[in-house]
Amino acid sequence: MSGKIKTQIEFLVALQDLDIMIKEIEEVKELGFEVNGEGSAALISAREELVQKIKKPMLAAYERLRNRYKRAIVPVKDDNCLGCFMKLPTSITAHGRTDKEVLVCENCGRILYWLS
Amino acid sequence: MEKVELVSYFNESLFIPALRAKTKDGVLEELVDCFVEAKFLRNPAIALEMVHRREQLGSTGIGHGIAIPHGRTTAAPEVMIAFGLSKNGIDWQAMDNKPVHLVFMVLAPPQELNNRYLPVLGRLVEVLSEPHHREKFHSVTTYSDFINLLKS
Ligand SMILES: [Zn+2]
Repeated sequence: MSGKIKTQIEFLVALQDLDIMIKEIEEVKELGFEVNGEGSAALISAREELVQKIKKPMLAAYERLRNRYKRAIVPVKDDNCLGCFMKLPTSITAHGRTDKEVLVCENCGRILYWLS
Repeated sequence: MEKVELVSYFNESLFIPALRAKTKDGVLEELVDCFVEAKFLRNPAIALEMVHRREQLGSTGIGHGIAIPHGRTTAAPEVMIAFGLSKNGIDWQAMDNKPVHLVFMVLAPPQELNNRYLPVLGRLVEVLSEPHHREKFHSVTTYSDFINLLKS
């Protein structure tokens, strides 16, 4: 993996991916995949570790959004927020692609992640 | 469960008839890179972290020389499957401890309109559970052979 310092948005994406995995463990198990208790515990501790790297207000925003919507972070495609499908203004799309700063959809409040 | 047509989730640019990597970690990386080169994924580090975490949960080596690393990642725009074949076999700490030759990497976005991810994953497991059918994948060299096999 590259040595570059991860941005807050990358940590948040990793956290969301992890939360989805934790939530879908049972479904995946039902398909015939091996899932061990040790592994589940490892995911929980990976989550705890990851959470330490995320700034408090950011984490609070993530948790708040997660309660409100299924997904706190949503991709941006063709300048549209894929959470609420609203077209984003250029003031946001011009800055988002680098993922250097955390930007939210003005309409639904979800955190935005650029796919391309 | 409704029968899922798998073919549409594969792509020629996600087909590796001879994997270069010799280790599990190497293969995971090679397949993720393949998604990036095919422009199906922008951020390899995020996807790679997710598939590594998934392996922590329990090996995705389901036995009979097959591994299906998989997961949802915010970095994936749609459900897609990459295929890689290893002639020599890879130690995947599989359920039956046998080396893995066939690797199917399934990536999916966190949320999809039609919720195809789990049915696709289930169908793949089902297709590969048939011994005669499974064996044939070991000798595919071209993408069209591979697709024909999936359709059969
Ligand atoms: Zn929105």
